[in-house]
Amino acid sequence: MSITRRSFGIGTAGLTLGAVAAPWIRTANAAAPIKIGVINSMSGGLAAYAQEGQPAFEYIIKKINAEGGIKSKGGAKIELIQADDTSQPARTATEARRLITEEKVNLLTGTILSAQMLALTPVLDELKMPTLSVWAGGSHSNYMFTLGYPYDRGYAQTMHDFVVFLRDAEKFNIKTAVMGYSNYEAGQQVNKFLVEKLKASGVSVIGEAPLDIRAQDQTSAMIRIRSLKPDVVVGLVTPRDGILLHQARYNLNYHGSIFCGGTGGYSDLSLWKDLGPEIGKAVLTKNLFGMTGFSPGAKIDSMQKVITELRDVAKLTRIGQGAIQYAQAGRVLQQVLETSASLESDALLDAFKKVHIPFGDPNLYVAKPKGLQFADDRLLKDGSAMFIQWTPDQQQQVIFPKEFAQTTPRPRV
Amino acid sequence: MRPEFYKVLASPVLWGILILAAPLPFLLPSYYLHIVILSLVYVALASSWNIVGGMAGQISLAHSLFIGTGAMLSTALLLKLGINMWVGLLISAAISAMLAAMIAWIDYRFRLGHLSFVLITLAFAEMGGLVVEGWDFLGGASGLLLPRDTGHFLDFQFGGSHGAFWVMLLLAVVCVLVNVAILNAPLGYYLRTIRDNENAARAIGVNVLRYKVAAMVISAVLASIVGTAYVRYLTFADPYLLISPVITIEIVLFATVGGLGSAFGPALGALLLVPLGEILRGQLGGVLPGLHYFIYGIVVIAVILITPQGLLPLFERLWKRRPGAAATRPPTVAP
Repeated sequence: MSITRRSFGIGTAGLTLGAVAAPWIRTANAAAPIKIGVINSMSGGLAAYAQEGQPAFEYIIKKINAEGGIKSKGGAKIELIQADDTSQPARTATEARRLITEEKVNLLTGTILSAQMLALTPVLDELKMPTLSVWAGGSHSNYMFTLGYPYDRGYAQTMHDFVVFLRDAEKFNIKTAVMGYSNYEAGQQVNKFLVEKLKASGVSVIGEAPLDIRAQDQTSAMIRIRSLKPDVVVGLVTPRDGILLHQARYNLNYHGSIFCGGTGGYSDLSLWKDLGPEIGKAVLTKNLFGMTGFSPGAKIDSMQKVITELRDVAKLTRIGQGAIQYAQAGRVLQQVLETSASLESDALLDAFKKVHIPFGDPNLYVAKPKGLQFADDRLLKDGSAMFIQWTPDQQQQVIFPKEFAQTTPRPRV
Repeated sequence: MRPEFYKVLASPVLWGILILAAPLPFLLPSYYLHIVILSLVYVALASSWNIVGGMAGQISLAHSLFIGTGAMLSTALLLKLGINMWVGLLISAAISAMLAAMIAWIDYRFRLGHLSFVLITLAFAEMGGLVVEGWDFLGGASGLLLPRDTGHFLDFQFGGSHGAFWVMLLLAVVCVLVNVAILNAPLGYYLRTIRDNENAARAIGVNVLRYKVAAMVISAVLASIVGTAYVRYLTFADPYLLISPVITIEIVLFATVGGLGSAFGPALGALLLVPLGEILRGQLGGVLPGLHYFIYGIVVIAVILITPQGLLPLFERLWKRRPGAAATRPPTVAP
């Protein structure tokens, strides 16, 4: 049978109409659950965040529901309503508008990186919707709380503190620095704060090597670093840029500086897979330290417990920083819903302000020595993270801060 | 100007549509109003692009540069130098016009072929993106966040979604009417002559440089103004959206699917494809990520296969075949 233009057109029309009409012929749910809108980048360039985190988040929510739901709300179950922003901030705002006005969600959450947070701001202000971002490094709306590391007191402060720790406590010779960072919004923001902090601590910033996020090769950046030969190269680097940077370092066989930075480009578990064991061993285990919010080896009981649970019970194969961050978001939302006087916007906002998961609490999955609380700027009060070093057998050892450290930093090669 | 333009201007259909559309902000829920506003933005952008791409036959991928200039520069001028956004709109439009004239001149001076023109304009767009991402004044890669729209008209604020709808409706109508006007003016004839055979046009005395520059400048100024209005609506000036070649590709797609070179084709394409894309993503994006892209792609392929000239000619054919229809040619289609 041949396909004519007419039959192809009729088929396409049927497919399209079916897809568009599907939600209106869905059967209604009998219960009245608490609806949480989840805006993730399920497709597009940022999909990796949600692909790793979403299963962990769903597991925690299912667990909360199975354990009786939100008890202060009569055991109401949580219903997740998913949306895909295709990694485009403007569409994050569109999907938020749909979830709030059409799906009537009580809360919003999702990856919501910093650019998406900015795009979302006017919608949240207009529709007064309390929202928890899993990753944004800032908040411009009174309705947006975030678990992401603040650019200043999160990323920049931790990197600065680690460099000073290497210099002062571990007696590494660090006088000069080159800023090696992914040249995108978060990388630029962190860099701005980090330069100020390093200079204030007496580290001389002798140059910059911004990494073009669209480049297919970072050899030119590495050549620049080699020519400047700083004591330390530091900055926020994405996993993709990190792979290219480490590859270039291997190709040039450069070991004249200490490389330290965060997060994915230095400490993502996938680095070894993408670089291969030979390159990984040559560059990741020599003069390199990575910032991360999660490490399988960290001495935190609750983190170890949730890793085991996600691996053995939820059967997740990919348990990295993203999975832990999302699992934590599930627990934060549970506490907000439990403590909120009602499901009204103002009550939920108050509950966000009162969130407190102290260090040692079984529901604290992220490494926060001072526990998890939101500051007045709606960012985490304790924005600190850890630093790790890689071992030749592809494991991580936490080396900073001392509360979670398993060992001391490996000496410079 | 041919009388057809005035006929369209006085058309009861046009005014009927406007009268019916005007109260939509009071009738539509917030989400659907947003989709309508977005559709109008793309109607305006696709129509502005059509002047160069459809009428002059020059597939320009530089329009993100003009949209981005309108959006990012006017925002930066307001936030960094305190320059009123109305003034920023004019400055951005003037700079867009200069950039457009320069691109048109390069095209003429070096006698670029179609493919070379596409690549040159893409290169300009990419350069624009790199400049914005690397220049703090324009917000760098982080973009810029405008103050909340509180409805102060003199500060280029329109009071949120309702005001934005009317502004976008006005801009969309203006862009479509500019298309109608050009199609029915000597400029339209010259552009179509250049599109069909540039050497022949030159041989019969058409001033190719002048008309190419004119088309590009008109198109760029309109795109820049729409860019400024769009960023005011979005509030967040996102460089990855507003100065990305992706936005130009979307515009080209809408214009092509609707009907290149005609006055209403690009508008029709945007009015059909923007809501379709948004609703498909809204309904399917969270359930089966990527499926909405697949269906959207199938629809676009189907349209191109079924009616390669675009949807407008198809609708016109169907309209002519209606019972009791007289065999007359609609006045607004490019000859």
